[in-house]
Amino acid sequence: MPPIIRVENLKKIYRIGNEKVKALNGINLEIERGEFVCIVGASGSGKSTLLNQLAGLEKPSKGNVYIGKSNISQMTEKQLALFRQKYLGFIFQSYNLLPALTAAENVALPLMFKGINKKTRLAAAKVQLEKIGLGERLGHKPTEMSGGQQQRVGIARAFVAKPKVIFADEPTGNLDSKTTDQVLQMMMQLAREENITFVMVTHERDLAAYADRIITIKDGQVLSDVKTQNHPTAQREQDNTIHTEEKKEQ
Amino acid sequence: MKTFDLMRLCLDNLSRRKGRTILTVIGVVVGTCFIVLMISLGVAMDISQQQMLESMGDLSTIRVYNYSNTDAVPKLNDEMIAKIKAIPHVTVSSPVYQPQNLQAMLVGGKKDRYQMYLGGWGITAMYPEALDAMGLTLQSGEFLTAEEKNAKTIKVMFGQNAAYQFSDSRSKRNNYRDPYPDQYGNILDPFLDVYKDKIQLKTQKNGDNDKQLVYDLEITGVFVEDWAKADFTGYGVFMDISTAKRLESEYMKAAGIKQTETEKNKGYTQAYVKVDSIDKVTEVEQQIKDLGYETSSMESWRESMQESAKTVQIILGTIGAVALLVAAINIINTMTMAIYERTKEIGVMKVLGCELGQIRKMFLIEAGVIGFIGGFLGVGFSYFTSWLINAFGPMLMGSSEGGMLGSVMGGLGQGGTISVIPPWLAILGLTFATLVGVLSGIMPANRAMRISALEAIRQQ
Ligand SMILES: Nc1ncnc2c1ncn2[C@@H]1O[C@H](COP(=O)(O)OP(=O)(O)OP(=O)(O)O)[C@@H](O)[C@H]1O
Ligand SMILES: [Mg+2]
Repeated sequence: MPPIIRVENLKKIYRIGNEKVKALNGINLEIERGEFVCIVGASGSGKSTLLNQLAGLEKPSKGNVYIGKSNISQMTEKQLALFRQKYLGFIFQSYNLLPALTAAENVALPLMFKGINKKTRLAAAKVQLEKIGLGERLGHKPTEMSGGQQQRVGIARAFVAKPKVIFADEPTGNLDSKTTDQVLQMMMQLAREENITFVMVTHERDLAAYADRIITIKDGQVLSDVKTQNHPTAQREQDNTIHTEEKKEQ
Repeated sequence: MKTFDLMRLCLDNLSRRKGRTILTVIGVVVGTCFIVLMISLGVAMDISQQQMLESMGDLSTIRVYNYSNTDAVPKLNDEMIAKIKAIPHVTVSSPVYQPQNLQAMLVGGKKDRYQMYLGGWGITAMYPEALDAMGLTLQSGEFLTAEEKNAKTIKVMFGQNAAYQFSDSRSKRNNYRDPYPDQYGNILDPFLDVYKDKIQLKTQKNGDNDKQLVYDLEITGVFVEDWAKADFTGYGVFMDISTAKRLESEYMKAAGIKQTETEKNKGYTQAYVKVDSIDKVTEVEQQIKDLGYETSSMESWRESMQESAKTVQIILGTIGAVALLVAAINIINTMTMAIYERTKEIGVMKVLGCELGQIRKMFLIEAGVIGFIGGFLGVGFSYFTSWLINAFGPMLMGSSEGGMLGSVMGGLGQGGTISVIPPWLAILGLTFATLVGVLSGIMPANRAMRISALEAIRQQ
């Protein structure tokens, strides 16, 4: 199977006055369909920059990013918006829920952009929220929820439209360790269920233990790229579900 | 995204910022109010001018004169009248003929006790078919129809007060009756009842050998007095043009008055022309002028009055437009503030796949809704203010016509209304306000569309 994300010699250079910052310095990557990838590295190593290029939120200075067959680095703003609407999902560190909308309405937002009618999209939002244990909070506004709950709403919103790829930049950065665990497991489980490719930037190395694959960035380059024992290819002979069950109990 | 969802999102956004939305809407209300009221003053002025002109004369008629004796001007004869009739938009074309050679009087009562002298201007004759189209109304009876030739009975019509011109030849004092109240407050009837009493037309005998011609009169109807449309409706006697000519020639024959060939073929001196719409008067009048005749109509009057009314309207409208411009700047400001406030939100929406056009539309609609609501309330408020002005304005202006408003209106609003808001003005106000809203939204909307999603979501 061809990779779902392919990165070719990606470079990103920021100019601040006369100074040039090479945030990304020649990155080559291939991400398989259904992989749960963690990008780690020191602060300022270029993790966020890489993720933004992958998601088409920023144009690279050089190189190309392919998602599926499309070269998103060559797309116009307009095409990108439509592409994101169809194939991509996002989870933010600071949740970024719309404060005026209820949890259900927030989750339904990507479906609204797709032009799905209100009844259908709110029903889908309800199902998604129930899946992550927020069935009781459908009508709550973001300000009436804890950080962990808000991030779960954010997760539901990323998954609701069944995208091909979900990007997340430090989704647990604002959460305590216990909630972090919950949220991570939730994301993994949902991604596996729907066979969604998941690319996540994270700070703490131990969180990366959940991932199938850990890509370490240093000074804008790939320092290491490791497939963990969780990786589907590494455990083809094992039962995947039993394995994750064991993990949870630890 | 569905249009319905977009609309709801816009309304949600507006109601979320209630305070600011209301203030902005008030700006539009004031602007719309100004524009609508200012134009309404102009409209009222137009209407009162129109009424004034109408009271002065029928606006759609043209008087044609030909007093020249040169051959340069073609004769205004029946042929020419027919030619004028053929000009597009002309509905009536008739000579106006007064048989000035005819010396006669109307008599009635025992031994011709009651008499009315018909001077040169007493009889007016036109084509009978013109009467109906002239828009004249009858007090009683019916309109005259074509006269049968050589009958000893002639058909005529009376002006409303024509019968009051009979005088009592026996009485030394009070030999006239008046159509208005006497010292006791009573209006007396004329000496003769035009329908019941026998009235005759007798020609004057200049010499003893002259033969006196006598005709019986049949009065078919009495006009309602309307000086604006035709002066014979007051004190005149109206008859068919062929009757008038016949009487005149029979009289001249009897009295032995000779006429030269040129006098006989002189043609008419006056004609009456009516046009199907006021707008066509100038056009038709020019064509008649081109034939060589002199003309007069209310149109030239009306045009100059309208010109000055338009100037006032433009001045008033400009004041209103400035007010609305201020409102527009207000909307731009509000929408720009909304962008700053919602930058992050816009960024999130973009990242989640909201199309750029939709974001633009959202801002345009929000601005348009502000304009629409402002326009709607503004028009409503204008109706109310207009009512107030009409109810209390004249009081404030006083009878002396003092004050600015009084001088602006030049007394034309007097007696009538000062401010009139016709439906088209209400629709115009509403449309204009909405348009101003949408146009004011363009700049902020484009700006919102261009916001970088990444920078927006980074913002705290
Ligand atoms: N918009 C920008 N303009 C200029 N320089 C930038 C910009 N964004 C990132 N950089 C620079 O690029 C480098 C990589 O930044 P990036 O945000 O990708 O780091 P990071 O790995 O995500 O760090 P952190 O773990 O702290 O989030 C840094 O040196 C940073 O200063
Ligand atoms: Mg970062």
